[in-house]
Amino acid sequence: MGKQHVVTMLPGEGTGPEICEAVRLVIDASGVDIKWEYEDIGLDCLEKYGTLLPDKTIQNIAKNKVALKGPTTTPIGTGHKSANVTLRKVFDLYANVRPAKLIPVLKRPWDKIDIINFRENTEDSYAAIEHMVSDEVAQCLKVITWPGSYRIADFAFKWAKDNGRKKVWCVHKANIMKMTDGLFLDAFREVAKKYPDIESGDIIVDNCCMQLVRNPAQFDCLVLPNLYGDILTDLCAGLVGGLGFAPGANVGDGCAIFEAVHGSAPKYAGMKKVNPSAVLVSGIMMLRWLGEEAAAARIEKAMFAVLDERKHVTYDVGGTAKTDEYAQAIVDKMHAKA
Amino acid sequence: MPTFTETAKATKKKRDIKLVGIDMYIITDKGIPKFDDIGPFKCEFISNRGTKVWPGFVSPDLLQVNWYRCRFMATKDVQDADVNTFLDALTKKGWWWSAAQKLWNYDGEAGFSKAY
Repeated sequence: MGKQHVVTMLPGEGTGPEICEAVRLVIDASGVDIKWEYEDIGLDCLEKYGTLLPDKTIQNIAKNKVALKGPTTTPIGTGHKSANVTLRKVFDLYANVRPAKLIPVLKRPWDKIDIINFRENTEDSYAAIEHMVSDEVAQCLKVITWPGSYRIADFAFKWAKDNGRKKVWCVHKANIMKMTDGLFLDAFREVAKKYPDIESGDIIVDNCCMQLVRNPAQFDCLVLPNLYGDILTDLCAGLVGGLGFAPGANVGDGCAIFEAVHGSAPKYAGMKKVNPSAVLVSGIMMLRWLGEEAAAARIEKAMFAVLDERKHVTYDVGGTAKTDEYAQAIVDKMHAKA
Repeated sequence: MPTFTETAKATKKKRDIKLVGIDMYIITDKGIPKFDDIGPFKCEFISNRGTKVWPGFVSPDLLQVNWYRCRFMATKDVQDADVNTFLDALTKKGWWWSAAQKLWNYDGEAGFSKAY
């Protein structure tokens, strides 16, 4: 075994704990040495701590600088701030990295999709600046800044360069929102000059949606402001098989939190029914971020093999396996290949 | 038969509106502003790019720009004229500001978001 990593585990609520246990089973069996430190997050914290995100959890993540998070639910229309958004803001996790890659066994109408979305994660209309400016008018400020736009573009180009990608697209609506999206596009173009070996281009967000549905293979890396990124990353997830297989990472300069982007499915809590793949592929992303490529590749290969055999898969992909049985099948596959 | 627009306008509900504070958008390159109380207004929090930077924990890695939202809440009943006095006092103290947004409660509920 190599270096030990200390990782904060945030199981979340609903089906989160059973999913995270399954994922931990697989990751621990991959040969990587991880010390997991469990912390609370989400709805279950409200009664205990009066907040969705306790200070103790924040302090633990600040210490470890890396976390794996299960699904949480944000209450709609209550006074409670989203734990996810709070995490992003507290740790300034400005890059939401959302790969969308075809999984061979999941039958889709396209031959190739291999897109990396880089969603700016901290500003835009998510700056939480909203007012009822009269009794019949609400407004939300869309905040776009030069440094915020510059660093997400820089992050994306650097990632593209380091990972052998060819082209980075800026997705925007600068033809209408000339100040805000115009600034985002200007910063992107400035950054592009630093990476002459990476091709760059820009595309209006509505056209990008149509092009993604018609011919997703044409896209490589996309850089998006927060709101467009929120929408298009789910669109891309849908193209490759849905949120059940969609990994996500929220990365800042000093911290990274890896998480599934689907909900906590509380109605299935405790039934060990749901597919843990989204958290598992997020965990694979985390292993690569930790420099554990061999373990990541081992899990990925075993997971694809189990999905391909379809003997021990969960209900959403046509099987009857429980969450932990699917995980154990991946572990067995890893050991069989060793 | 009324048009959709006419029908929509007719649905407006009368609500009780009460002035309770001001969001001030301050421009400064000198870091997080500090304020004493100004008349009946007390600074409750300051955010930058939507993230609360005062009071409480601020990540040393947090990107901050030179534009701060400073929320001042009224400590007693106030009128529009008190806002004018407040703005005048703030300007005389040397603060450069880009905008002011009055904060109202509607039927007792806040018509403004909190900061993260």
